[in-house]
Amino acid sequence: MEGESRMSAETIQKTPAPGEEGGEMPAILRIRLSKKVDCEKQCPEWECLQPSQFDKVWVVGELEEGRVSEPSLQMLTPGLELAKKLYTSLEAVLIGGDREALEKAAREMIYHGAERVHIIHSEALREYMAEVYARVLAAYAHKHRPDVMLFPATMRGRELAPYVANTLRAGITADCIRFDVDEKTGDVDMIRPPFAAIMLAYIKTPTRRPQIGTARPNVFPKPPRDETREGELLWARAEDYGVPRPRSRVLRVERIEKKEIPIEKAEVIVSGGKGVGTHEGFQMLERLAELLGGVVGGSRKAVDMGLVPYERQVGQTGKTVRARLYIAVGISGAAQHTVGIRECGTVVAINKDPEAPIFQHADYGVVADWKEVVTELIRILETGEEV
Amino acid sequence: MSLEMMVGIKWVPNTQNVRFDPKTGTLIREGVPSIVNPADLDAVELALKVKDTYGGRVRVITMAPPSAVKGIEHVIGMGVDAGVLVTDRVFAGADTLATSYVLSQAIKKLGLPDLLFFGQETIDSSTAHIPAQVASWLDLPYVYYVDRVEEVNREEGYAVVRRKLEDRYEWVRVELPAVIAAALKSQVPRPVRLSEKLRFHRDKPLQTLTNKDLGLDPRCVGLRGSPTIVAKVTWMPEVPRKRQVFKGDAREAARWLVKKLAEEGILVREDGRWRVRVA
Ligand SMILES: Cc1cc2nc3c(=O)[nH]c(=O)nc-3n(C[C@H](O)[C@H](O)[C@H](O)COP(=O)(O)OP(=O)(O)OC[C@H]3O[C@@H](n4cnc5c(N)ncnc54)[C@H](O)[C@@H]3O)c2cc1C
Ligand SMILES: Cc1cc2nc3c(=O)[nH]c(=O)nc-3n(C[C@H](O)[C@H](O)[C@H](O)COP(=O)(O)OP(=O)(O)OC[C@H]3O[C@@H](n4cnc5c(N)ncnc54)[C@H](O)[C@@H]3O)c2cc1C
Repeated sequence: MEGESRMSAETIQKTPAPGEEGGEMPAILRIRLSKKVDCEKQCPEWECLQPSQFDKVWVVGELEEGRVSEPSLQMLTPGLELAKKLYTSLEAVLIGGDREALEKAAREMIYHGAERVHIIHSEALREYMAEVYARVLAAYAHKHRPDVMLFPATMRGRELAPYVANTLRAGITADCIRFDVDEKTGDVDMIRPPFAAIMLAYIKTPTRRPQIGTARPNVFPKPPRDETREGELLWARAEDYGVPRPRSRVLRVERIEKKEIPIEKAEVIVSGGKGVGTHEGFQMLERLAELLGGVVGGSRKAVDMGLVPYERQVGQTGKTVRARLYIAVGISGAAQHTVGIRECGTVVAINKDPEAPIFQHADYGVVADWKEVVTELIRILETGEEV
Repeated sequence: MSLEMMVGIKWVPNTQNVRFDPKTGTLIREGVPSIVNPADLDAVELALKVKDTYGGRVRVITMAPPSAVKGIEHVIGMGVDAGVLVTDRVFAGADTLATSYVLSQAIKKLGLPDLLFFGQETIDSSTAHIPAQVASWLDLPYVYYVDRVEEVNREEGYAVVRRKLEDRYEWVRVELPAVIAAALKSQVPRPVRLSEKLRFHRDKPLQTLTNKDLGLDPRCVGLRGSPTIVAKVTWMPEVPRKRQVFKGDAREAARWLVKKLAEEGILVREDGRWRVRVA
């Protein structure tokens, strides 16, 4: 037997949380319960539901080759913060066809902070297909009504989340870098850098639930792992939510062999910009990166010039990186670039223009020709010379 | 019947310096020249390649203000057959749900194509939502990150496409009609030809749809039909950095840097060698 545990659609829990016994209901709960949406004003194509019918913060996790992905665990960090502020609990959702892998992944989600994990399972879900997964997730969310749904904005998450949101006729905010709760309205502020990357837009979905948001990998750190944490696993049969007939299927897969670690996992990154200018220049950066046990990245201009592959672009339309050491060489420091290095430990900039904005975003800056400095750095590291 | 293809294109401001009106939370677009969103040219190119092989017709569709006709002219110059401009004041201020709704309704009205292409994402708000949302509205299968269309078989109703993921290529067989989002920077869009542009001016292959034609409930479109609202816009908080700067001799500069990184505990010198200390 599958041992399913069914849940009914919950509403915001009115009982005081432990430790609050006899106390007043927290203000945020009162606000969330009393929120009313005027159905007359809403698009009649949408089912009009009241926000008070929705509760819990969900993080939708993904499995990568049978293991829970790092970006899924990272999303538990903002999930936990939102759950606290909304006075509710943090839950994870996993979907797939491999029971053992799902259960292991669910435990990881619990060790990293989820209180409960919904596991939607079916043999028919062994192979990931965006449309099929998205429809099952949407049906599941429609029944169980989470107040908030967070997805990692991995390649998968970016194709899955908008389909889920649209099927629920819910709003969705992409690539958030912060989440907060508006204490006056009980709505989640989904905070994202638009366009210029120097501004932050606070996006809300006051009349629709769930409130759906995504964040790129590495924007949030992973919460600490604690193997003693316990939590509940709720198994569900995907068939109960309708598994659509797949209209697409993978015929063949070909691995792209990669020797280097992906930039988003690198501890040290030597990043080059237009100022480095040539393939020969980037070979020197490769050497420096190698000596530092790191990898090479680049600005968008370097990518556009064909000096660095797009997977190694740092910034708003590239990767957010969390290196301990980030060395920007011949990069001016446009806002769209520096938004990708906010989470880095120590930032070094080498640029010949003393006015280059990159110096405002660096711990240690050197105003000089990059080639001379990098040549000397390579020499010191190669010889082990004292400084 | 021959193969029908449609490509969604967005008319976007071409600048890094578009500013926001902090009061209304909207973009200040005045005086900013617009272009066809670069990723959409990948989608146009992908569709034109299919046309090169299998024949058929490629149309573009855009929900935009009337000035976007310039963008339609541009892609017609690349070899696109015709353009559809979906425009109405009530469509303004739409989020991705409301945008995809109007696009879907317009596409339905025009008749579902066999292949519906989109770019991966835009340069102005880059959500990458629209292709999946349109697929959801129209109940179509969808494939993201496509860098090649390997085969189209209209009679048997399928296509085989290749998608490029971080660590692998996947060949996907998808039933027609289908939504295809082109992988970012996956194509080299063909140049605009003057002869094609002249065709635009001679034949006027342009159709305009307003809400008179679509008859959509005003509560479902534009700002009113958008569940997301931009509540406020603020400056991005700065990350505190030390901002120490060394000016002068490049060799001295390198030594200074190594010293600083040693002070930070990032570099350590052991047995006559510098190495990065693992955290
Ligand atoms: C600062 C800011 C932040 C925003 N954040 C969000 C947000 O998080 N969530 C949200 O729902 N809305 C958001 N919006 C609104 C969003 O920009 C619009 O809805 C826009 O019309 C479509 O979104 P996009 O540009 O992200 O398209 P994407 O989904 O990135 O576009 C993908 C592809 O869809 C096609 N496409 C896109 N727009 C059109 C069009 N008008 N006509 C034809 N084809 C098109 C193109 O082929 C394009 O390459 C934001 C707007 C601003 C100004
Ligand atoms: C919507 C949007 C999204 C974007 N996304 C990204 C993104 O994800 N990532 C990104 O990087 N950019 C992005 N950009 C582009 C960004 O605005 C900048 O154009 C880009 O980052 C500049 O790259 P750069 O610093 O290499 O080049 P430049 O700005 O041209 O700077 C080159 C620098 O090299 C220095 N230099 C030249 N010669 C030497 C020398 N001999 N020694 C030392 N220094 C030298 C110069 O002083 C200059 O500061 C985006 C833009 C937009 C509009």
